[in-house]
Amino acid sequence: MTEDDVRAALKTVEDPEAGMSVLDLGLVYGIALEEGKVRVEMTMTSPACPASDYIVDEAAAAIRALAPEGTDVDVRLVWDPPWTPERMSAEAQQRFGWT
Amino acid sequence: MAYRFPLLALGFVSLAFGVAGGLARLSPLAVPATALALHGPLMVSAFFGTVISLERAAALGRPWALAAPLAAGLGGAALLLGLPMAGFGLMVLAAAVFVLCGAVIMRRQPSLETAALLAGAAAWLAGNVMLLEGRAAVPWWIAFFALTIGGERLELSRYLRRPPWVRRAFAFLAFAVFFSALVPQALGVALMALAAWLVAFDLARVTIRQDRLPRYVAACLLAGYFWLGLGGALMALATAYDAALHAVFVGFVFSMVFGHAPVILPAVLRIRYPYHPLLYLPLAVLHASLAVRVFVAAPLGAWGNAAAIALFIAVSICLILVKGRK
Repeated sequence: MTEDDVRAALKTVEDPEAGMSVLDLGLVYGIALEEGKVRVEMTMTSPACPASDYIVDEAAAAIRALAPEGTDVDVRLVWDPPWTPERMSAEAQQRFGWT
Repeated sequence: MAYRFPLLALGFVSLAFGVAGGLARLSPLAVPATALALHGPLMVSAFFGTVISLERAAALGRPWALAAPLAAGLGGAALLLGLPMAGFGLMVLAAAVFVLCGAVIMRRQPSLETAALLAGAAAWLAGNVMLLEGRAAVPWWIAFFALTIGGERLELSRYLRRPPWVRRAFAFLAFAVFFSALVPQALGVALMALAAWLVAFDLARVTIRQDRLPRYVAACLLAGYFWLGLGGALMALATAYDAALHAVFVGFVFSMVFGHAPVILPAVLRIRYPYHPLLYLPLAVLHASLAVRVFVAAPLGAWGNAAAIALFIAVSICLILVKGRK
């Protein structure tokens, strides 16, 4: 499994409020691959975000669906640095009026 | 995780009796005297209080935060058992823990959004203290919902490009909502202004043009903002008390619950809740029956409101069972 595969999986996970993938929204901070392990660090727009567990579960499930069986998938929430709109993809920035 | 479901179930006991008590106020229906007399505390602090504080505890991820939904749920049970002061005391405790949750979240990421959520928590606490003291709790409860929902919507509107004054306007409105809870007519004006802000700047304006779940959530939100504005107008005019309150509590708050259940329930209970267009049915019944309640006949509309809530629960259970547990 490559980093691009993980990105492809995360591209299918939407923030249900925005109707756009967590990847496009710039919520994914880092992807680390080791033998048999996938680690993802992501954030939410707010630490009070009630949907955070839902989105984390969806992200882990999407990666597991693509990963070889038995892969240890760990999706973690981090709050530092805080999310900013500049992290969004060009497509997201266009949809939400930034460009 | 396993304890979250019983907590939610406890909140739903208060919902069932609270709705029955509300109906009994408008039409002949045999319900326990406590449910009739304490409709407001059962709905706001026992049901919504349990659900909202459980949602916040799940977001926070700290076990002590569950003391808030536990106390709110037990508070409702105490009311139903004929122990009003114990119930009100538990509701104060629930709100105090909820304020602490808000403070921890604000410390984690200080911002206008988290400040609004903390102010909402403080308004719930103020309302429950008023309840304990036998004074008017309702304006504070309305401020609780307006600030909590407003804060969450402000957070999501960060996806959108907005001029800086839009945030400053929200800060002013949040301030106005909190402090005008002391003067219900002023609160009505503040709610109208907040509703206008939400209609103008919320992310729902964009997502209503998408499809599936984002569009459904946006429909729930935008319909809710209409009722928030109307409820605010009725409060400002100091007229039609039942219509004003239920425009806010049913039209704004329940619409929000209908919209967010498919997102929040999976987060809180770790279950699958797939979107289906059938969700529009209870939503339509809710808003149509509220229109009947406000403009035509309150008792008939109230039964329609109750039917919409029951229908929503039935549709939700069907959708969850069809996809099964994770």
